[in-house]
Amino acid sequence: MISQLDRKLLRDLLRLKGQAIAVSLVMACGLAMLIMARSLIVSLETTRLNYYESHRFAEIFCSLKRAPMSFVPQIQATPGVSVVEPGISVQVTLDIPGLEEPATGLVKSLPDYQDPQLNRLFLRQGQWLRRGGRKEVLVGEAFAEANQLRPGDSITMVLNGRLQRFQVAGVVLSPEFIFESRPGAALPDNRTYGTFWMGYEELASAFDLDRAFNQVSLLLDPGASEKRVIADLDRLLAPYGGRGAYGRSDHPSHIRVSDEIRVMETLSIGFPVVFLSVAAFMTNAVLSRLLALQREQIAILKAFGFTNGQIGWHYVKFSLVFVIGGTLLGALGGVVQGRQLVIMYRIFFRFPELGFHLDRSSLVIALGVGTLAATLGVIGAVRRAARLPPADAMRPEPPANYRPSLLEWMGLASWLSHSFRIAVRNLERKPAQALFTVAGLALATAILIVPNCFRDSVGEVLEFQWDTVQRHDVSLGLVEPDTEAAQHPLRQIPGVVHMETFRSVPARILFGHHRRQLMIQGMSPEGEHERIIGVGHRQIPIPREGLVLSSKLADALGVRPGDSLGVEILEGKRQTTTVTLVGLAEDFAGVTARMDRQSLNRLLGEGDVITGASFSVDGSRRGEFLSSLKRLPRVSWVAVKESLRDNFRKTTAASINLIQSIYLFFATVVAFGVVYNNTRISLAERSRELATLRVIGFSQREVGSILLIELVILTSVAVPCGLLLGTGFATGIIGLVSTETIRLPLVLTLRNYAFAVTTVTIASTVSALLVLRTLNRLNLVGALRAPE
Amino acid sequence: MNQPISAASAGVPFAEDSSRPLFRARGLTKVYGMGTAEVRALSGVDLDLFAGELIVLLGPSGSGKTTLLNQLGGLDVPTSGTLRYRDMELTEASEDQLTLYRRHSVGFVFQFYNLIPSLTARENVALITEIARDPMSPEEALGRVGLSPRLDHFPAQLSGGEQQRVAIARAIAKRPEVLLCDEPTGALDVRTGIVVLEAIERANREIGAITVIITHNAVMAEMADRVIYFSDGRVDRIRSNSHREPVSSLRW
Repeated sequence: MISQLDRKLLRDLLRLKGQAIAVSLVMACGLAMLIMARSLIVSLETTRLNYYESHRFAEIFCSLKRAPMSFVPQIQATPGVSVVEPGISVQVTLDIPGLEEPATGLVKSLPDYQDPQLNRLFLRQGQWLRRGGRKEVLVGEAFAEANQLRPGDSITMVLNGRLQRFQVAGVVLSPEFIFESRPGAALPDNRTYGTFWMGYEELASAFDLDRAFNQVSLLLDPGASEKRVIADLDRLLAPYGGRGAYGRSDHPSHIRVSDEIRVMETLSIGFPVVFLSVAAFMTNAVLSRLLALQREQIAILKAFGFTNGQIGWHYVKFSLVFVIGGTLLGALGGVVQGRQLVIMYRIFFRFPELGFHLDRSSLVIALGVGTLAATLGVIGAVRRAARLPPADAMRPEPPANYRPSLLEWMGLASWLSHSFRIAVRNLERKPAQALFTVAGLALATAILIVPNCFRDSVGEVLEFQWDTVQRHDVSLGLVEPDTEAAQHPLRQIPGVVHMETFRSVPARILFGHHRRQLMIQGMSPEGEHERIIGVGHRQIPIPREGLVLSSKLADALGVRPGDSLGVEILEGKRQTTTVTLVGLAEDFAGVTARMDRQSLNRLLGEGDVITGASFSVDGSRRGEFLSSLKRLPRVSWVAVKESLRDNFRKTTAASINLIQSIYLFFATVVAFGVVYNNTRISLAERSRELATLRVIGFSQREVGSILLIELVILTSVAVPCGLLLGTGFATGIIGLVSTETIRLPLVLTLRNYAFAVTTVTIASTVSALLVLRTLNRLNLVGALRAPE
Repeated sequence: MNQPISAASAGVPFAEDSSRPLFRARGLTKVYGMGTAEVRALSGVDLDLFAGELIVLLGPSGSGKTTLLNQLGGLDVPTSGTLRYRDMELTEASEDQLTLYRRHSVGFVFQFYNLIPSLTARENVALITEIARDPMSPEEALGRVGLSPRLDHFPAQLSGGEQQRVAIARAIAKRPEVLLCDEPTGALDVRTGIVVLEAIERANREIGAITVIITHNAVMAEMADRVIYFSDGRVDRIRSNSHREPVSSLRW
């Protein structure tokens, strides 16, 4: 049997339904983000952990020039090492049907007669390689999907200079390549870069690595020190051209998943906090208004013997209804959004199965946090009502007290119209209500800035990287460092307008206790293909001596131009020497050190050696040029600027559009909800005043304009605050996703700001007009009667 | 019963053709609700009101006084019947026409003053003078009700009588042809009530607006040119006073 007080609750709620829905929706936005983010964190973390465990993802990784298999027991004997998995990993170019340019592939070996002990694959389609079989490969799913490769299809690879055809046996996934991209690239480019696996013996014989390995993965004993094993391994492998061992925390694929989890963790706290604060205020405003209206009812209830507790609880129940509504909507929204994000994640992160698992504990947290926010919102109003002696409560509230507004104290009174005065004085009389409406609108404006800032920042990186820095059309890398003479066949490729060569070498930079592993790129000072851009977009000429570092890396190392850096070359004769830092480059992607090629070669003591070349290509002969590349021996990778740019654009556009639609929805809900509530409450509180204005000769439009002026004032305060806040959000989030290797510049455009302002203005205006439509229902006759 | 009383016999100096009524109501009927809940607030009222008259409407609660006042003020439309103001059929006027009618021709004084709380006395009046056609200055209007020293006070800083006088100033500042007062002294004590009635009476004399005052208070009948008694939604009777008693002589 429902109590009479609850019956009253239901009927009051029915009357308040518009405002109740608005509060619940704003609450739902915050809770949806909370539920979505926490569920995604749990989904990603548990999926990754399970994947790592079931497929025995290694803990330490190292690549090297070449070591004999007979050396493996020595690694195995290192204290703390549990499992050693040696293998071969090489880069090759491929001819994929339907792809104009050669693709680049990372080919890894699989043991011929046993399952790999570490980094086991997951077979998605087709079958495993036949034991001891030849001319078969397994293809990573991302590449297979992008190029529509199926088991049974053929692909052509250039293996150490020899063109060979392989049949795709199966499509696989690897815990090493959950996130799969070119080394140093910010985003995957699955169309032109992929991973492949083939039998050890076939790969070894193609690259003259019989009974040898050039990369090794380790699993540690429980409790072993990763740091110590890395140091031991570096020492052991140094004679074999070891390029520096690293743990999971430096593993490119692992880092990217961790980064995403980190972003979600921040969102799962930040977003709900702001949204729920706004919702708490809205609850307060709605309940305060309701309590003011029901003063006499409260007095009567008290006069009849209801306790303060019963009355307080009755009104708290209103807010609980908002919370339950908000949590249900939030859970629904969180699941819908989470599912969409998981679909987007599948583009970037390749797991055997990544599902969206609703984290039930997040529902409990959402309900708890929502209740806390709503209770904080109503507690003041309810306590005021409970404290009121019944006799006082039966009298209407005393008339509102007004003062001249601040603007008038400042002597601007004569500039203000009456409507404006009414609006300003009203706002000043209820500063908290005004403040939170401003906060809500500012928040709505702010969150709109973020996705567009992302879009612009990525755009800027692409433009900077591919228009300002790189002036060539195509670049390629050689399988092995070669003499200057190796450039001649490259120059003969049809369509070459201009060609430049470079030398890059893996090295370790040392300064104080800092150390970084990176590539040093030797460039020709006369070259036109790659420019170094310094502060203020000024080009830095390549100095004859010394090193140019990216300024972010210099910051991380704590070095300044003029300092001497230790350089440990991780190839060839492995010299260690010192080089002066002579300049700082402003770049966004990758960690590269640059110097004069001749000077680098002197440092290496290897004569005039090149590792790759870049080309300007005659546009009319582009097809011819690219198909020739496919047949070129001794090329390990090819990068075609236009197709990279297109693929990046497609990938980012899809994901940013999704994020933007989510943020746009949130912003619209908040702007709409906040304005709706504010206007409804103003209208209700001041219906008598507004009706009086109508009676004494003001038109409906003129009366509406008074409320609109208030809104315009609030919006014009909120929007600049929102732009500022949004700039802060964008700065924070860009900072959060920027790492030493992949940096996004903060790009804030007028267009971005204008979009945010326009969206919020439209949402607020539509919302206000919707409420103001009810002005024609103002009870003019009622205005003549006694005040409520 | 409802025979019009000529202006001359009431001794009021009319500027216009006194034989032509300012308001002419015929069969004015207002029904609220439907079926068993039906309430006939006005049932077939015929009435002529003349320019410059001071009229007191007397009658018990629910007799239809306020409903008539609302019709005269263009706040409500009748269920049937006609109500003509000069050459304008109020019952057929559009929302915009009614707004303009209220803006330019009608001054309202309410029992609970209905001032805009966020505007000072001067600004409450100025609000109207800004949209009226030939208004007096807010200062003049407030001077006429004796509030010159309180121009810049907010409603919450004024006593009830002062607030009501601001409301009168607001109503007369536009030099209305019609001044409608619904229980203007209902919320006030006797002394304050007298001051407010004096202000209304003076406004009627000086501006020449037809003034209709609703009251429960039979004493106030003495200050009127005509007294219209209402009961059950009908005009019960009309009394013409041979002369208007000065407000200061009234006591209740």
